[in-house]
Amino acid sequence: MSMNSDLDQVRAAAQQLHGAISDAAAKRGNAIKADLEAVGQKAKAVTESVKASVNAQNEVTKKYLKSAVTDLEAVQRHAAEALKNSGHAFEVSMRQTLADARASVQKVSEAVAAKRSAASTKTRK
Amino acid sequence: MHNYIAVIFDDTGKAYEGLHALWQMDGEGDITVHGTTVVHRDLWGQYQVDTKETQPALATAVGVGVGALLGALAGPAGAAVGAAGGAAIGAAAGGAVGIGADLIRADTREQASDETAFVLGMGQSAVIADVSEDSTLPIDSRMRGLGGVVRRRAWSTLQDDAWYGAYWPSSYLYPYEYIPPGYRA
Repeated sequence: MSMNSDLDQVRAAAQQLHGAISDAAAKRGNAIKADLEAVGQKAKAVTESVKASVNAQNEVTKKYLKSAVTDLEAVQRHAAEALKNSGHAFEVSMRQTLADARASVQKVSEAVAAKRSAASTKTRK
Repeated sequence: MHNYIAVIFDDTGKAYEGLHALWQMDGEGDITVHGTTVVHRDLWGQYQVDTKETQPALATAVGVGVGALLGALAGPAGAAVGAAGGAAIGAAAGGAVGIGADLIRADTREQASDETAFVLGMGQSAVIADVSEDSTLPIDSRMRGLGGVVRRRAWSTLQDDAWYGAYWPSSYLYPYEYIPPGYRA
């Protein structure tokens, strides 16, 4: 089993956020807007859980998590912009929201890898 | 080690078994998977990426990005082929990637230690993944057991390639196990 369940849970939440955004992007019209409101709230919750997990980590892991927080804040900002926009501007905001969410999962995932690698090195010593 | 891998299978069902196995290994903590997708090459030579994107702009981005990544796994020269093919065909078909020539390897950079060129044959499928692994053994042995052949390229070498614009290659991979409805058991 995985040795860093705290970060695994944070990563699962970030993965779900990306899934929710890409599912929303596949919809049309008002259905997207309703989903985007939920995305904003979810992004805020994930941001808080990433922030809460930072202090317990080693320096490399911390660096990735702090970077993930920046991406998650951008998700919130771009999702809010998408709610106000329409047409091309809306599509641009959606793409940015999705790209920010993807970047945030990558950073959390890198944090998980760094923590696993550190744990595995310790075990080998 | 942080690597991009392509695991080549002779049929799509096996490719999805391979995809599932990768995420399972991640769940067990043996490796960390940062993103995956499955690419098929049909009997007419056309490449297709499984994606849930329906918005043309997003589907095109996936087509271009995965096409470039697939090409890049064969070396820097392959990236040019992949990006060009993806741009041309991804825009029209959404999520489809066409690569007009077989992938070429160019040994101009330091590569992952066991990297080799690959060509996806007609009717074959490949799992493309961004992974962190302490050893290549777990993925190699698990994929071999499923009938897959693993190819690698170091993640760091792709970050320098200029084909991706504002997005890095992994942004086109799903950061979780995504299996399209048609392939779910």
